[in-house]
Amino acid sequence: MELEKFSYDNKIVRNFAFATMLWGVVGMLVGLLIATQLFAPELNFSIPFLTFGRIRPLHTNAVIFAFVGNAIFMGVYYSLPRLLKTPMFSKVLSNIHFWGWQLIIVAAAITLPLGITTSKEYAELEWPIDIAITLVWVVFGINMIGTLIKRRESHIYVAIWFYIATWVTVAVLHIVNSFEIPVTLFKSYSLYAGVQDALVQWWYGHNAVAFFLTTPYLGLMYYYLPKAANRPVYSYRLSILHFWTLIFIYIWAGPHHLLYSALPDWAQSLGTVFSVMLIAPSWGGMINGLLTLRGAWDRVRQDPILKFMVVAVTAYGMATFEGPTLSLKNVNAIAHFTDWIIAHVHVGALGWNGFLTFGILYWLIPRLWKTNLYSVKMANVHFWIGFLGIVFYAFSMWFSGITQSLMWKQFNDLGTLQYPNFLETVLQIVPMYIIRAIGGTLYLAGVVLMIYNLVKTIKQGSFLAEETAEAPALHPFKDPFKKGTRHRWLEGKPVYFTIASLVVILIGGIVEFVPTFLVKSNIPTIASVKPYTPLELQGRDIYIREACNSCHSQLVRPFRSETERYGEYSKAGEYVYDHPFLWGSKRTGPDLHRIGGKYPNSWHYLHMENPRSMSPGSLMPPYPWLLENDLNTSTTAAKIRALRKIGVPYPEGYENIANDELVKQADAIALDLQKNGIPVEPQKEIIALIAYLQRLGTDIKVNKQTAQK
Amino acid sequence: MEVIVILIGASLLVAIGFLIAFIWSVKSGQYQDTYTPSVRILLDENKEEQNQTNNSKK
Amino acid sequence: MNSVTKNTQLICYHCGQDCPDDSIHLEDKYFCCNGCKTVFEILNQNQLCNYYNFGSNPGISPSTVIDKKYDYLDERDVIEKLVDFKDDKFTSLTFYIPQMHCSSCIWLLENLYKLNSAVVQSKVNFVRKELSVRFLHEKLSLKELVKLLASIGYEPQISLDSVEQKKEQHPNRHLYYKVGIAGFCFGNIMLFSFPEYFSIDITETFLKKFFSYLNLILALPVFFYSASDYFISAFKGLRKKVVNIDVPISLGILVLFIRSAYEILFNVGAGYFDSMAGLVFFLLIGKILQEKTYDALNFERDYKAYFPLSVTIKQNEVEKSIPVSKLMIGNRILIRKNEIIPADSILINGDGIIDYSFVTGESHPVSKVSGEMIYAGGRQLGGAIELEVIKEVSQSYLTRLWNNDTFNNIGESYFTRFSNTVSKYFTIIVLLLAIASGAYWLTVDLKTAVHVFTSVLIVACPCALALSTPFTLGNAMRILGRNKFYLKNSSVIEEMAKINEIVFDKTGTITESGKADIIFNGKVLTPFEQKLVKSLVRNSTHPLSKKIYDSISGEEIFPVTNFQEITGKGISGIVYGNLLKLGSSSFAGVENNEDETLQTKIYLSINEQVVGKFIVSNSYRDGIEDVIKNLSKHYHLSLLSGDNEGEKSTLEKFFGEKSNLNFRQSPEDKLIYIKEQQSKGKKVLMLGDGLNDAGALSKSDVGIAVTDDISNFSPACDAILHGSELKKLPKFLEYAKDGVKIIYASFVISFLYNLIGLSFAVEAKLSPILAAILMPVSSISVVVFATVMTNIFGKKRGLTWK
Repeated sequence: MELEKFSYDNKIVRNFAFATMLWGVVGMLVGLLIATQLFAPELNFSIPFLTFGRIRPLHTNAVIFAFVGNAIFMGVYYSLPRLLKTPMFSKVLSNIHFWGWQLIIVAAAITLPLGITTSKEYAELEWPIDIAITLVWVVFGINMIGTLIKRRESHIYVAIWFYIATWVTVAVLHIVNSFEIPVTLFKSYSLYAGVQDALVQWWYGHNAVAFFLTTPYLGLMYYYLPKAANRPVYSYRLSILHFWTLIFIYIWAGPHHLLYSALPDWAQSLGTVFSVMLIAPSWGGMINGLLTLRGAWDRVRQDPILKFMVVAVTAYGMATFEGPTLSLKNVNAIAHFTDWIIAHVHVGALGWNGFLTFGILYWLIPRLWKTNLYSVKMANVHFWIGFLGIVFYAFSMWFSGITQSLMWKQFNDLGTLQYPNFLETVLQIVPMYIIRAIGGTLYLAGVVLMIYNLVKTIKQGSFLAEETAEAPALHPFKDPFKKGTRHRWLEGKPVYFTIASLVVILIGGIVEFVPTFLVKSNIPTIASVKPYTPLELQGRDIYIREACNSCHSQLVRPFRSETERYGEYSKAGEYVYDHPFLWGSKRTGPDLHRIGGKYPNSWHYLHMENPRSMSPGSLMPPYPWLLENDLNTSTTAAKIRALRKIGVPYPEGYENIANDELVKQADAIALDLQKNGIPVEPQKEIIALIAYLQRLGTDIKVNKQTAQK
Repeated sequence: MEVIVILIGASLLVAIGFLIAFIWSVKSGQYQDTYTPSVRILLDENKEEQNQTNNSKK
Repeated sequence: MNSVTKNTQLICYHCGQDCPDDSIHLEDKYFCCNGCKTVFEILNQNQLCNYYNFGSNPGISPSTVIDKKYDYLDERDVIEKLVDFKDDKFTSLTFYIPQMHCSSCIWLLENLYKLNSAVVQSKVNFVRKELSVRFLHEKLSLKELVKLLASIGYEPQISLDSVEQKKEQHPNRHLYYKVGIAGFCFGNIMLFSFPEYFSIDITETFLKKFFSYLNLILALPVFFYSASDYFISAFKGLRKKVVNIDVPISLGILVLFIRSAYEILFNVGAGYFDSMAGLVFFLLIGKILQEKTYDALNFERDYKAYFPLSVTIKQNEVEKSIPVSKLMIGNRILIRKNEIIPADSILINGDGIIDYSFVTGESHPVSKVSGEMIYAGGRQLGGAIELEVIKEVSQSYLTRLWNNDTFNNIGESYFTRFSNTVSKYFTIIVLLLAIASGAYWLTVDLKTAVHVFTSVLIVACPCALALSTPFTLGNAMRILGRNKFYLKNSSVIEEMAKINEIVFDKTGTITESGKADIIFNGKVLTPFEQKLVKSLVRNSTHPLSKKIYDSISGEEIFPVTNFQEITGKGISGIVYGNLLKLGSSSFAGVENNEDETLQTKIYLSINEQVVGKFIVSNSYRDGIEDVIKNLSKHYHLSLLSGDNEGEKSTLEKFFGEKSNLNFRQSPEDKLIYIKEQQSKGKKVLMLGDGLNDAGALSKSDVGIAVTDDISNFSPACDAILHGSELKKLPKFLEYAKDGVKIIYASFVISFLYNLIGLSFAVEAKLSPILAAILMPVSSISVVVFATVMTNIFGKKRGLTWK
């Protein structure tokens, strides 16, 4: 008898669901904290581990990889087996996946506050964790592909295609972007330098958004929306089209994050073109999602699940329209480095990812516990406060973004900047920060309400650990078109084949490419640009540890408003020794690329001790510990060696004298400070940081030869 | 900018990978039927149960 | 969901139809018939009542299954024909089940294994209404499976064409791959050309090289795979010394490729691979569009569907069924009532009453006695008969007839014909032009010269010219089809536009033979006499004889000797020793002195003694008068009737003086008449009924078989017109003229396109990419124009076109 009985594992789904809720709250809580710190800096209680710079990456990572990540896995582990009429390939792998992923999150939650970071956005985690991520991801892949291979349903539903795409692409992105050379267990340098590093990072950064926050959720949408609405998707044909067009376009849109940067024009334009092209498939998907509910709007009115999903899909549409708009050069000139971008990403995160997740949870939990939702009313309340939260958040950030940007660019009749003092433009938008925090609070409150509601639901139900099902074994009907044995190799295990070949070729290719290009391409195009001195290098790593780059850019764009404010615009050639690049993506504070030599050492010292003493009303937190901690010079030699390996021209054996050089330079700075009545020992961290800041952007000033790109 | 070779290389590999997958899916008749699967996913559960549990049903 | 009883009207729990009464029910569930009840019981026993939860009252009332109906499904050859594949354990095949209509159907059909464990898998394609089943053939025979399906209301439709469907789509699939590949490469080539477009800075020579080589690599599959069709067909053409339209196209592609490859390899420039890929991509898109439309234009009905799939043969007194294709000369076959004669054969024993309406459009059956030839496609209306096959199915008149029909490649004939004539000169001119302008520019510089040369070759394309005709006529044909006016092929439209003489047949054409009713008036016939008459008329195939035969009850038949049938007069014969004459007054031997009415009278004389007359009253088709009056304005009309002048006066009223009305016309007379007219240089359109006028119909320039039974089909005619639509005839003729006008118009358009394109090209003002876009646009716009205009005119002429 061919009929086979089997059962779906609901435990793993439950675990991921719980993890989703837990990390969701954590991530949002941290978000709320840093949001409030932006108008009440003292809320870091001058604890290093709670300063903005260190916990902002915690927020982003927790929300993206912990909250959304677990939600994806929850959704996949529920829908995939049911779509393929077979249990997951291996329970063991499922559990390794689950616990592995949670461990990674915990590791992130510990290392990031400790300032252990690569400083690359959404890829801050250091190399040991990167490797762990890779392993867990592979486990997930094997589990998924294994399930695909032993499926009992010949047709691969469109949602699954989205899952596969997610897996393949994220794997490639993660690997390519994480090429770094370890120095210590907790420190590494990006293999790429400067502009190249930036390009790789944003190729990754963009596609991470595309393939971690978008494609998997589209997959979930195509499964859970029809399920919740109990009607087939409006046009399955369109959904297939949606998938393939999205896949073939998305991957190229990365460079739009680097408009007006030191990136070559053609690369920027390319990014723009493809970003604009993206509107078509994205909106196709949105429309498809919304039209699925045509004729069921009466039900949308009563059913919170559908409400959440409708708003989610709409948010997807808004975000995918706003994105391409932002990638237009003239819009980007205004929006880049401002809160507009923050608004943009949060429409996506809170609206699209958040609300879809909530919808799925409300739909899933009652099923897993064989009961009804504890309180539909409560869910409706959640919907409305959540919605209100998004509105508060988005509008405040849109407003503050545009206001500030316009102030930056404002010239007066004399042809000088209207607001030469950056701080003015900041104080202007503090009220918006407060509103934003209120929005965040509302949203978080909603989530807490949901968790209460779901816990109650779980209490009243009984968990169904193993859901039995039956289906006949799969014998693909012979396709009448296929005669002869051509393409057999392809038909055998197609998915497996695709991915395996892909990974193999890829790794081979990279191994071949990397040394040749990178090293050779780091030859300075500007003669006067020299590698950092050991002290500056250490200072730079402190800059990275405290993640100064999350508030300060290091990229002066070629606008008069910027050259006027900061100095000469940045040249690609200036970054050739920057492993990693530190351009930053947001100007909560002013740009620092030309900070070198702008202020005396004493200014920096006092500013770090207490920013308000230098610039009253500043939102920057004080960094007293930099004044107390001694600089760890044990790593200097290792760092020099590592950097030389990846093409920074430190002379052979320089690592042996590096620390002497370091001390020399430190003493000089300490002396200067003492002259200015600041008693400080030269071995303090602050000295190194000052050294770095004073070096920043000064190379091209050395000899007044204007550099060409 | 030579790093772009790596990015394009990687991207192109992914793209080609998907192209192969696409050709396979057409060849193996994945898209011979572009309607039924969308209905089929709704049929996999016992409706009586759903009537009780799924409050989103009419 | 499950509430079925409406307080006013009971609704069947299974199929949702109203129940006649509440007699049939299980507990609270009521059913309209026992069929539905049984299905419910089957589902109930197998815990399949979920069926009723996906849709409300989703069921289909099962048709009563006749046991013998599916016997042929036990036949090995039949099974082999039907199954997709079969191994020692499993058989899997695909059924066509038009009944499926909702998600419940899908659910039930995909849960067949719960009904019968021998079914291991069943999969629905809802759009195609297909069910693929895989089952253990030891435990379950194909026949049982079909019965199972029928028993739950999903009786599959099994017929030759459902078997042949599978072969169809095959060719285009490769076209789709070609488009896919071309599209992918086109996109990426565009992408890697961006640096070029955005003027990549000089320093990055390395990347420049990298990109152009990448383009070269991506261009290879486009050139060698996607574009292959064009080269092949061009090559084939040239070998046959025919310059078809693919020659200029492939020339363009070739030139583009070589030039670009040269530029890149010798580092002269970036090449035009983006244009080449684009050109190929758009061309293929156009091709797909074309194919799609051709498919849509296909004639709605597939005559093969009328073939029986298998036939019972008698071998040494053992009856077994074999597939038609296996039938061989000399086989003894058994044909039951309502079965179709699959091949020309000789009647061995039994009484053949053969309905040839599939073949001829003549709805009155023909009776055959043993030894007579029976043509394939006829349907036996009488009891079972035994036949000996004298021609194999494949060769038989019938298949020849049906295979000949060009329904499946409307337009293609034009396409080829057109390209063979025009595109030869076209290509030559274009080549000369290209060379000339190229040579001219050579004086300036090579680059521009080659550029011009390629541009000319690319932009000048006869596609648009070639497409206009098939698309116009094809679409017009479809519209006419929707008005129940079926054309054999699109050339008929052109013929219709030329018509200036219209010839009508009377009976069945302007009169409605179907409605005719018959009475006997005279001395009342004794049952014995009636039998005599019945026996006599049984031998005649004349419509009237058939009518009389039907009008007399009783089965007993007497043998008839020296039977005679004189066309246009009547029949006679000796039955049981009595001489019977039946026919016109003179034939029966009476003075015809009665006033003429709209009646046909058949006089009966027994032993030279007139006993009375059968009166068959005809009725004219409604609106026929206006039609004829209307037509007489523009055309010369004539009437050819087999009957007497009985209705002359009435008909004259319709036709007017100009027209000539001829009566007592034998089929030969009609044929001769047509010839005469044509010899006078007239273009004749004839309307008649399929059988009697076959000769005349085929002779006339446009022969239209008027029939009231849409399934009728006449090999002789160029078109079939449903009687009810006869009144639209003037409109049809007008519309045909419009069609021709449209063709000329679209010719002009496509010529303009070429002129514009070329004028740009020769001035070197046309970039290859622009050309690559302009060309498909021209073809597409012509297609759109043709389609839209035909629809607009269709509306204007008041023809339903949706």
